[in-house]
Amino acid sequence: MFRALSYVLVFLMMACIVLTIGNLIENVVPGWHSGLIAGALLFLVMDRLYTYRQLKSLTPLSAEWVIALGAQWILIVLVIRFLLSYANGLNAFIADLSLFVRGYLANFFSPEFVITFLLALMAWVLTAQFLDLLEEIGLDQELALREESAPIRSDMVPAHQRLVTLIFSVGIFLAIVTVLTRVNVTTILSNLSGLPDIEVRRFSGAEAGALLYFVFGLTLLSLSRLMSLQTHWNRLRIPISSHNLTRQWATYSLSFLLILAVAVSLLPAGDSLGLFSVLGTLVGFLTGILAFLAQLILALVLLLFSLPFLLFGNAPPFINRSAPLPPPTLPTQPVLPTETSAIWELIRSTLLWGALVVILVFAFIQFVRQHGGIRAALRNSRITNWLILAWQWLSRNADQTRASLSRAIGEGWRSIVSRLEGKGVLPGMDFISLRSLDPRRQIYFFYLAMVRRGGEQGMTREPAQTPSEYAAALEKALPSTTEDIDSITAAFVEARYSRQEVDPGKAELVRGAWGRIRRALQNRLKDERSANK
Amino acid sequence: MSGTFLPLLVVLVLIAAFLRGDFALTLIYLVVGALAMGTWWCRRALGQVDAKRHFNTHAFLGEQIKIDLQVQNKGWLPVPWLELRETLPVALAGPHSFQTVTNLGPRAAAQFEYFVQARKRGYYPIGPLTLSTGDILGLSDSLLAHSQAEALIIYPKIIPFASARISSHSPQGTLRHSLPLFEDPTRVFGKRSYTSGDSLRRIDWKSSASTGRLQVKLFEPSIALETCVILNLNAEDYYYRSRMDSTELAIVIAASMSNWIVEKKQMVGMVVNGRDPLSAELMPQSIPARKGKRHLMRLLETLARVEVIDNSAFGSFIQKQRYQLAWGTTLIVITGSAGDELMDELYQARRRGQNPVLILAGRDSTEEAIRQRAAVFDIPVFSIATERDLTLWMQGSKRT
Repeated sequence: MFRALSYVLVFLMMACIVLTIGNLIENVVPGWHSGLIAGALLFLVMDRLYTYRQLKSLTPLSAEWVIALGAQWILIVLVIRFLLSYANGLNAFIADLSLFVRGYLANFFSPEFVITFLLALMAWVLTAQFLDLLEEIGLDQELALREESAPIRSDMVPAHQRLVTLIFSVGIFLAIVTVLTRVNVTTILSNLSGLPDIEVRRFSGAEAGALLYFVFGLTLLSLSRLMSLQTHWNRLRIPISSHNLTRQWATYSLSFLLILAVAVSLLPAGDSLGLFSVLGTLVGFLTGILAFLAQLILALVLLLFSLPFLLFGNAPPFINRSAPLPPPTLPTQPVLPTETSAIWELIRSTLLWGALVVILVFAFIQFVRQHGGIRAALRNSRITNWLILAWQWLSRNADQTRASLSRAIGEGWRSIVSRLEGKGVLPGMDFISLRSLDPRRQIYFFYLAMVRRGGEQGMTREPAQTPSEYAAALEKALPSTTEDIDSITAAFVEARYSRQEVDPGKAELVRGAWGRIRRALQNRLKDERSANK
Repeated sequence: MSGTFLPLLVVLVLIAAFLRGDFALTLIYLVVGALAMGTWWCRRALGQVDAKRHFNTHAFLGEQIKIDLQVQNKGWLPVPWLELRETLPVALAGPHSFQTVTNLGPRAAAQFEYFVQARKRGYYPIGPLTLSTGDILGLSDSLLAHSQAEALIIYPKIIPFASARISSHSPQGTLRHSLPLFEDPTRVFGKRSYTSGDSLRRIDWKSSASTGRLQVKLFEPSIALETCVILNLNAEDYYYRSRMDSTELAIVIAASMSNWIVEKKQMVGMVVNGRDPLSAELMPQSIPARKGKRHLMRLLETLARVEVIDNSAFGSFIQKQRYQLAWGTTLIVITGSAGDELMDELYQARRRGQNPVLILAGRDSTEEAIRQRAAVFDIPVFSIATERDLTLWMQGSKRT
């Protein structure tokens, strides 16, 4: 299932690439049969998908491999050449055929043919690259899980990452090609003197290809991500406890892409491309191509049967009766009306430039994060150091100012309160501020608090009881805090009866122990009250 | 994230600027949106996942501990994949360490269980549990989260004692002893005729009236085992070749002695010259003498956690501790070897009215010399080289 899905997605992505390139050819060289070229390339992609596994099973540069590949490419070259000839009409095709037969090969390599051949080579290689990466990710489990292969290099990029790189790289290429399809190259080439006046057309039809390429690319990434994870788990022998992981993955992926598509279609982007119209464009294009291919195959079969007639100089009966094969045409986008509201323009511009700034900052941060050398270089640069020093100076001063201000406000408030207390306006407060006590007295405070609270709950300390004896009695009532009672008692004994300095850390520990004892006492009181009820 | 992401964005931004918006902007939204939404979903979903373990945190040696792990998604965002890996200490890890992959729907939960074997005493952290997930397109790196580790305490081995030949000088105790210095007036085991010099308080008037002759009561002897087990885990005091076994044996002895004393309903405390990973100062807290099973559990917990320490002189450690102990306390000192400093401290303890007993754990070549020195100070010495010796000592006590 993974294989079928990934092959379909690769085909669709290649179809988008072919669509875009076809539009470029149509823009740059209107006289060429761009639709036919696109159809031939798609046919080649289908062939590559079909023969990939057979060719992969052969040893490279072996006799079988050379024969298989050579035969395939000879056929491809001939089909392309004859298709291009046939596109000019049957008479042109027959004339070309007779020239080739007589050995006039110079006409074989027309510019249109050479460019088509190079594009076919590119399509072939690109399709293979996609399939190679998918095989490595997990389509070929034997390859993906191979343990006896060469040791994995630490700098080797994972296959999924390479697939992302490939998809994005081709995306860059497509974006540039799409721009070129919008530029009126004919006008530029006809006015070569002085600076060329670049005229940008509204739509060229390649936008749909570029956009859908990314959509299908993201879908393929989702599928390959699942495959790479499964391979990773298989390699590490991590069991999958969920029975519906794959099904849920598909649901989440489709939902994610749908939400993304809806969100993107709602965001302002000038003359927007409607999602459904784009899909309709691609479907129409593919349908036209497939119909053309079907008719082409039928025409080739009829041609085979007509060859004996042609050799004897008679007109083939089948071909005369059928109309010439219309080449496939590339779709064109409808012209959408522009927005005229000024407010909407303002909102759009704000969103546009705001989004661009955010994207640039985000991309820069990610770039710096990924390239540690740049970060180190930035740290070493003078400007960065100066900025960092300036920031530290600012924050230090701000902290000092804040501390001074709070101290001044506190002192002022205390002096106001003490004055008011002195005049009897405010009642005196006899709270003890723990912060003002030294660690020894803090320990006294917590121990006496424990004794007081214990006494309130019926565990009164007898005057003759030593701290240890009282601790034993208290532990009987609070068994869950035995260690805390012991530690607070030991700390009190040390603080009370020894002359050595008490560590502030010890006072903190005692504070923590007292907190736990207090909670235990409170819980005990609550339990007693609820039991009495 | 892929290194071509930034160049793609730059190209699209330039195209958007050149064409003043439209399809390039749509592509930017699509690509950045995929990355941003995916990363946000992944981070948010992982933040909503909560993992809880349920297991018995205390176990004895040899037990199999079942750990139930519940993983719950508290949010409304589903988690497409979640890899769980539990970190187990080497001493507990078996051939099948816990790791699995699952997915969690909105507000869904998953339950897992696995087992660990209590092979060795100690304080072990179970976890942390590593949860990892990632975005559905694989555009950003996987995220990791860790849930807190929880402690598992495996108690040391306890060898049950029938009795132990430990003398006590405490009056008014509660156990019979063969060499009494004191008698317990609450335990009358017989009567005899009055002889000159007997105290008038010992006269049994009822039997004197019935026999017509003055009879005095005979009281049973007694000891009071207010005991403090002082365990030395200073590495230098143990023979280096068998240090690990000897220190473990010392802990087993301490645990077994504490268990025996608590079973006899006596009070026992403990101080350890070792390292406690849970203590703030890394030194185990001294445990005052108490009775009862709960107190025994506390002692065993401390013994489960303590570890060997380096460069901690035992003599000065005992000196600090014995001042806090009451007169008449029996000090059961467990160590690997005893030098002059220790002997001196034990002698001082005896002079202060405490009752030191020295137990040598493990093999030591100077054992004979130690015995001779201890005999001079009248300090009983018991040598236990292996657990088998401990068992035999127990059986030997039983026979006597």
